[in-house]
Amino acid sequence: MDSVHVLRKAEPPVKDYRSEVDPAPPKGRGTALSAAPAIPPNSAAIWLRSKGVSMLLWVVSLGIMLAFWYVVTRYKLEFYIRFVNVPTPAEVMQKVVEVNQSGKFLVNIGYSVRRILIGFSIAVVLGAAMGLLIGRYRFMRDMLFPICEVLRPIPAIAWVPMAIMLWPTNEVSIVFITFMGSFFPILINTIHGVHSIDPVLIRAARSLGANEYRLFANVILPGAMPHIFTGFSVGMGVAWVSLIAAEMISGQFGIGYFTWEAYSLVSYAEIGLGMITIGVLGLACSGAIQITGKLLMPWASYAGAEKK
Amino acid sequence: MNGNSKGAIDIHDLGVVFIAGDTRVEAVSAVNMNIKPGEFVSLIGPSGCGKSTLLNIVAGFVQPSFGAASIDGATIKGPGSECGVVFQQYSLFPWLSVRKNVEFGLKMKGAPASVRETQARTLLGLAGLLAFENHYPDQLSGGMKQRVGIVRALATSPQVLLMDEPFGALDAQTRVVMQEILTNMWQRFRISVLFVTHDIEESIFLSDRIYVMTARPGRIKAEIIVPLARPRTPEMTASAEFIAMVQQLKRLIREESLAAMGAELKDGGLSGFGTAVGPSGIAEMI
Repeated sequence: MDSVHVLRKAEPPVKDYRSEVDPAPPKGRGTALSAAPAIPPNSAAIWLRSKGVSMLLWVVSLGIMLAFWYVVTRYKLEFYIRFVNVPTPAEVMQKVVEVNQSGKFLVNIGYSVRRILIGFSIAVVLGAAMGLLIGRYRFMRDMLFPICEVLRPIPAIAWVPMAIMLWPTNEVSIVFITFMGSFFPILINTIHGVHSIDPVLIRAARSLGANEYRLFANVILPGAMPHIFTGFSVGMGVAWVSLIAAEMISGQFGIGYFTWEAYSLVSYAEIGLGMITIGVLGLACSGAIQITGKLLMPWASYAGAEKK
Repeated sequence: MNGNSKGAIDIHDLGVVFIAGDTRVEAVSAVNMNIKPGEFVSLIGPSGCGKSTLLNIVAGFVQPSFGAASIDGATIKGPGSECGVVFQQYSLFPWLSVRKNVEFGLKMKGAPASVRETQARTLLGLAGLLAFENHYPDQLSGGMKQRVGIVRALATSPQVLLMDEPFGALDAQTRVVMQEILTNMWQRFRISVLFVTHDIEESIFLSDRIYVMTARPGRIKAEIIVPLARPRTPEMTASAEFIAMVQQLKRLIREESLAAMGAELKDGGLSGFGTAVGPSGIAEMI
């Protein structure tokens, strides 16, 4: 176990500063032993070497994709797959400038982002809350889980006709579909998170005098947190899938609508632009979730290194 | 910390039966034992003899099927802060820093933040862990985690400390050091301790008294008073007195282990030999 501890990370292992085999515990606060991490002198160079190579490969990888795109569209290749109508990178780049001359493109983005934020936020609150309750209490599981299991296999997009009937406006039904897409991944991961909490932690909390309410707030919630965030990441991905589909089918405004409209209007460069915009927005959203997770769970980067 | 007046544990005619499906397992049977306030008592026996079950009853995690267990005359109803528990598995909350882990019990009691912090830092200082107060558990070695676990259990000033093979997962060298740290800390706090272990030397080194349990269903086979002086020092483990006690306990536990294996082997088809196989017979076969 010791070797695992030392080897697991490049960061300075704590253990080296204070050997386990110290005689009788130092009395008072006279621990002259510093726990401050000492940074090895050549760490910057090592970091650059390992990260630098990795970053270079990233650039190469994306470069290959761009080059492929350029070649097949520039020479309008046709071999079963037809690149005849596909816009070149330059055409798409030019569209970026063009669409930004009016505010319409940004308005579309604004609509999509707003729908995602509202639908996803409701899914976060409901999914995590229900997941915690279902995970913790048998009664809640028996009451709520059957409903969830029956509705879960229905893809969010299949809700489109029903949503249009259910909700007063198109806008609300699109938000509803976005919500449906992200709700179940969050719910399922939260339930799993509650179940994955080591029972010894619950016993420890009980023996330290935690009542059910405090146990829930201080052990169940933080204990399930890593899985809840996994649910957020997956849910955000599905939310975008559902949103774009809903916008394409029933939408007014929105980046999905923009992309579909471009196809109807035979504006091929805008299709490419729409797709890239969707990709960038999705990336930004999952990045935001990852950063939030790291900020809320600074301990998570140490966890798991020595587990089971 | 709480004097020598509180923390008496009484276990009277206690039995535990687990029912799993249609099999009925008698884990512990007719156990009578007591721990006086401020006494360090070990519970030792072959694996599977129900010593952890007994500890879990005192902790309030398991309800006895028969008999009664009480602390200071009050029947144990459930887990609570009057009993500190140290588990064999690492049980620190990974999302809390070392200090916040130690503060946990005080927070559950509603102590104000400043009191919690002072108390936690004092105890961490005593255990030589103050430099690590802001580390997360996953940054610590196994021995340090268990030290934090002990400190956390002591932070609420419990009347009783229950320890379920707390050093079982540690390597031999770390164990010895941890035993010294524990005996020093006990010397300072003088609270009642029930210590479950299967390590004979460990139980003698730490305890005032040792209960030896039989193979399942666990009963009390013997009660042994450890005459070694306090405070205990590592040199004592080399004394003739200590070694004699080790021999005595080894003999007692060996009998029980063989009895336990005898029961398993009989179930496993040894009866087919048509001869009664007693414990000594198995020892010879092995």
